[in-house]
Amino acid sequence: MNDDALLTAVRETFAGVRMDTPPEQIVRRGHAVRARRRLPRVAGTVAVAAGTAVAVTALLPASHQPGAHLAAWTVARQGDDAILVTIRQLTDPAGLQRTLRADGVRATVTFDDQQNPACRNYSRPSSALTNSVIGMSLGNRELTLVIHPSALPADAGVQISAGRLEHPKQGGIAIGLGFGLVQASAECTGS
Amino acid sequence: MSNQRADFAEFYRRSRNDCLRAVLVNVGDQDTAQDLVAEAFARAWASWRTVSRHPAPAAWVVRTALNAGVSRWRRRRREIPLPDPGSLASLPAAAGAGDDPVDPQVMAALLRLPARQRQVVALRLFLDLDTGRTAEVLGIAPGTVTAHLARAIAALRHDLMPVLPQETSS
Repeated sequence: MNDDALLTAVRETFAGVRMDTPPEQIVRRGHAVRARRRLPRVAGTVAVAAGTAVAVTALLPASHQPGAHLAAWTVARQGDDAILVTIRQLTDPAGLQRTLRADGVRATVTFDDQQNPACRNYSRPSSALTNSVIGMSLGNRELTLVIHPSALPADAGVQISAGRLEHPKQGGIAIGLGFGLVQASAECTGS
Repeated sequence: MSNQRADFAEFYRRSRNDCLRAVLVNVGDQDTAQDLVAEAFARAWASWRTVSRHPAPAAWVVRTALNAGVSRWRRRRREIPLPDPGSLASLPAAAGAGDDPVDPQVMAALLRLPARQRQVVALRLFLDLDTGRTAEVLGIAPGTVTAHLARAIAALRHDLMPVLPQETSS
């Protein structure tokens, strides 16, 4: 099978994917977009402050919840000094937190969708900074975080929080994973 | 105005499915892809005078949809629904999985590609963009597009050869 044939075969598997939104609805939404553009911009501060945290949600079918599918994670140091955190299931957040701290990452980890109450948002939030410290990718059966400790400011730590969320629209339960920077302290990030 | 609306409606009718497929490859969830593409088409209609003159309006829609997805993701802690990776390959009988219009193994293979490779594949597969136009849309060098596409094809070949129907030779 040559490259074109391979791509054609992949494309054909998407034949059943169809956009079912009627054009009238798109046009109405377009009018709303125009109206939004006419509104004064007042939310800039909120957007900047929120730039320290991002999140991803993986949907789990309701019939395959906890129990037999409890989670596991691994932490590995890469050649370029980055720390690779692979999360397959949500379990033992304290162990993950200990492991990261032992690897020199000031970190706080919770898997109950609650933040550590001792933690405070990082005082100099920046999406660019957060993105230079932490990256995320979705793999097969796992979520991967890449942490670059050398990019972490001396007064900042990494926060990883996750939890299970009801997701009635899709008829299942979602796992939400958020990560960002927090102010480093003994109570929050260990040092 | 009515001409513009008819023009836009024709563009929407002609390109909506391919745009949806291109975005789906990147976000992995059909509900999310539908919403992002609807938002992108709405923005296209809101700026139709400009977008209609774009050299590749469908690519503009896909790019806008993907940017909207990234913005949502970064704006604040909120949900970005993604399929449970475990449910893709090994749990075809899971709730709702039977309605999935895409072969779960193909989707899983695509989701395993790095994001940039997925974008290149999506633009090539569904919008039929050549290397130069793909490079313009993604803001990268043509040589980078070629390299991403080659790596993506190699990975897909490795993952999917046992799955996809094979050519027969006579």
